[in-house]
Amino acid sequence: MFGRLLFQLLRGSRGRLAVALIAIVSGAAVISALLNLNLDVGSKLTQEFRTLGANVVVAPSRAQGSVPPRGNALPSSNVAGLMDENLVFQQMKSVKTPGITAAPYLYVIARVGKNPVVVAGTWLDEAQKLSPTWKIEGNRVNSRDDLVHALVGQNVARELHLAPGSEFALDYLGRTAKLTVAGVVDSGDAEDNQVFVNLSVAQQLSNLDGQIGLVQLNVGGGSENVADVAAKLATALPGYDVHPIRQVTAAEGALLSRLRLLIFSMVALILVLTSLCVLATMAALAIERREDVGLMKALGGSISRVVGLFLAEVGVLGAVGGAIGCVVGMVLTRWMGHRVFEATISIRWEIIPLTIVLMIAVALAGASPLRMLGNVKPAVIFRGE
Amino acid sequence: MFARLVGESFVRNPRRKVLTAAALVVGMAVATATLTIALDAGDRLAREFRSLGANLLVRPQSDTLPVEIGGVDYRPVDEGAYLRESDLGKLKMIFWRHNILGFTPFLDVPAVLDVANPPAATTLIGTWYDHEVPVPDGTHFRTGLKTTHPSWKITGKWFADNAKECVVGADLAAAHPDAIQVGKTIEIGSSIISQIKTPLLVTGIVSTGGAEDHSVLVPLSVAQDLSNHPGQFRQLFVSALTKPADALSVRDPQSLTPTEYDRWFCSPYISSISYQIGQAIPGVDVRAIRRVADTEGRILSRISTLLWIVTLAALGAAALAVAATSATTVLERRAEVGVMKALGARNMIVGGIFLAEQLLLAVVGGATGYLLGILLARALGQSVFGVPGSPRMILFPVVLGLAALVAILGSLFPLHRAAHFEPAAILRGE
Repeated sequence: MFGRLLFQLLRGSRGRLAVALIAIVSGAAVISALLNLNLDVGSKLTQEFRTLGANVVVAPSRAQGSVPPRGNALPSSNVAGLMDENLVFQQMKSVKTPGITAAPYLYVIARVGKNPVVVAGTWLDEAQKLSPTWKIEGNRVNSRDDLVHALVGQNVARELHLAPGSEFALDYLGRTAKLTVAGVVDSGDAEDNQVFVNLSVAQQLSNLDGQIGLVQLNVGGGSENVADVAAKLATALPGYDVHPIRQVTAAEGALLSRLRLLIFSMVALILVLTSLCVLATMAALAIERREDVGLMKALGGSISRVVGLFLAEVGVLGAVGGAIGCVVGMVLTRWMGHRVFEATISIRWEIIPLTIVLMIAVALAGASPLRMLGNVKPAVIFRGE
Repeated sequence: MFARLVGESFVRNPRRKVLTAAALVVGMAVATATLTIALDAGDRLAREFRSLGANLLVRPQSDTLPVEIGGVDYRPVDEGAYLRESDLGKLKMIFWRHNILGFTPFLDVPAVLDVANPPAATTLIGTWYDHEVPVPDGTHFRTGLKTTHPSWKITGKWFADNAKECVVGADLAAAHPDAIQVGKTIEIGSSIISQIKTPLLVTGIVSTGGAEDHSVLVPLSVAQDLSNHPGQFRQLFVSALTKPADALSVRDPQSLTPTEYDRWFCSPYISSISYQIGQAIPGVDVRAIRRVADTEGRILSRISTLLWIVTLAALGAAALAVAATSATTVLERRAEVGVMKALGARNMIVGGIFLAEQLLLAVVGGATGYLLGILLARALGQSVFGVPGSPRMILFPVVLGLAALVAILGSLFPLHRAAHFEPAAILRGE
C-alpha cells in the first residue's frame, strides 16, 4: 500500500519532480567528480612536480670534514669525496621502492684546449629522464654505453663554438677523450656550463674506475613518500649523506593543501545550492499537494504516515538522483582528467555511496517545506480556501 | 498602470517573493565568491610557487665559462666579469616591475676559516637577507634571500646587513662543532687576495639542502671587501610572477608583428620579463631557470583550467537554483494569472508583468548577493590562501546580468505554459 502510494505520487507530479531530479543529478555529478578529482589531484600534481628534477641526493658524508678544496688551482679530483658505484647501487636496490629514477654523477674539471670546463659523468639515458625540462637541440644520447657522444650545455657550446656533430677533445692530466657533440642542452641552470658524458668516459678520463661523486634520485609520490624513501635509503647507506631537496617538497605540500581546501569549499557551496534548488521545488510541491494531503487525512491517514510518505518520496528522489549523478560524474571525471591533466583519473568507487548519502541528506534537508503539510486541515482544504 | 501592478504585487504579497529572492541572493553570492576566487587564484598560486625559489638567473654577458660544481664556482676570483650593485634598482623600473617579487645578488669568495689547524677551506657567499635597495624613482625596495629563497631553514637568526656577522652552513658547522656555534666569533680570510682576517659573529646555522650547507653566508658588503670587488657581484637570482607560456611566448620576439610584439611585451611571460631586464641592465645575460619556470607554468595552467571548470560548475548550480525557484514562483501564482486573463489581460501583458517582477527581484537579489559574495570571498580567500580576496567592481555588472538572465530564463518556460492556461479551469481550482 505504502509502496503503491509512493509510486503513484512520484508519477503524479513527475514534471515538478523532474526539476528537483535535474538539480540533484547535476549536483551529484559535479560533487562526485570533484571528490574524485580531489583524491587524485595529489598524485597527478606530484607527477607534474617530478619535472623539477632530482628530489633526493646521495653523497659521501660531509660531516667528516671533507670540505671542497678551493683556491687558484683547480681541484685535482672530485669535489667532496667519492663513493663506490657498485656498492651504492647494490644498497639502493635493497630498498625496494617503485618509481625511482636514479643517476650517478662524477664531476671532473677537464680542459678543452685551454678552457677549463666541468665534465659531468653520468648515465646519459637516466640523466635526461631526471631533467625532463631540458631543451635539447640536436640528438639525445639514449645509451649509457655510448662512449663517443656527449651533450654540452649551451654556454659551453657558445664559448667553445660547438654545435651538434662537431668533435672536441677533453684533456685531463695528460689523458684525453675524443668526443662528438650529440646535442646542446638548454636548462637555464648550472648545467648550461657543463659537458655531459657517460660515466665510464669520465671514470677513464680521471682514472677513477668504479667511483662516483654523488647519486641524484627522482622519487615519485608525495612529499611524505620522498621523506620516507630518503629515510630508508639513509638506513641502507650508513656513512653516506642522504638528503631530500627541500624546496621541491615544501612547494608541493603548500600548493596541494591550498588546492584541496579550495575544492572542498566549492563542494560545500554546490551542496548548499543543490539543497536550495530542491527546497524551491519542494515548496511548490507542498502547495500543490495540499489537496492530496487533505484527502488522505480525511480518509484517516495519520499525520506521521502522510509526512513519512512524502519524505520517502524525497528520499527515493535523492537516491535515484544521486545514482544517476554518479554515473554522469564518472563521465565528467574522465573528461576533466583528459582536459586538465591529459591523463586518466581512476574512478574511486567509495565516492559513489558517499555521494548518494549526501544527496539523500540534501534532498531531505530541502524537503523541509513538506512539514507544513502536517498542519493541513482537511475541512479547510475542501472548502477551497 | 503596469508599474502599479508590479509594485502592488511586491507590497501585497512579499512572502511569495522570498523564495526567489533568497535563491537569487545565495546563488549570486556564490557566483561572486567563486568568480573572485578564480580571478585571484592564478596570481595567488603563482605566488605560492615562488617558494620554489628564483625562476630567472642574471649573469654578466662577457663572462668566461663558469667552472661550477654543486653551486660552487671554481674559477679564480680575478677571472670573469662582474655586475654592478648600483644597477639593481633599475629592475624595479621595468614595465613589469610589480611582478618582480624579489632579487638577490651573489658573490662567491674562496676563503679560509680559522677553526682548525690547518685552517679549513670554504666558500664565503656574499648576499642579502633583507636589504633596502634604492630605486631610481626615489623609492626603496626591500629584498634578499627572505623573498627569493624562502625554503632555506635557519636556526638562530639571519645576519644584519652591513654588520660583521655571518650564517654558517649546517654541514660545515657539524664538521667543527666546537668552534662554530651561534654567538661565537670566527676568523675568516680570503684565500687569495690577502691574508687579513676578519672576525665575524655567527648569528645562525642555515640548512638549504644545497651547496650552501658547507659554505659561510655573509652580507654582500663583507664579501666585496674581502675579495676587493667593492659594489660588485657575480650572479643575480630573480623571482618573478609570470604567466604560463603559450604559443605567443615561445616565439622569437624578432619575428613578431608590431601588434603581436606589443601584446608579448605587455604580458608577464618569463621571456618578456627577461627581455626587459636585459634592456634595463646592459651587458647581462638573463636566463629562465627552465627546471622551475617550465614546471611552474605547466602546473599553473593545469590548475587554472581546473579552477575554471569548478567555477563554471558552481555557476551552473547557482543558475539552476535560481531558475528552479523562478519557475516555482510562476506556477504558484496560477490563480493570479487566471484572474488577470479573465479580466481581459493579454498574454503579453501577463508575461510582461511577471518578467518585470523577476527583473526587479534579480537586480535587488543580485546586488545583495554581490555584497554577500564579497564577504564570502574574503572568508574563503582567508582560509584558502591566507589573504582575503579583494573585491572586484567589474564583477558587479556581470553578476547583475547573470542574475537577470537566469531569473528570466527560469520563468520563461512556466510563463509559456501559463499562456495556455484556461482562466475558467484555473479559477475553478483544477
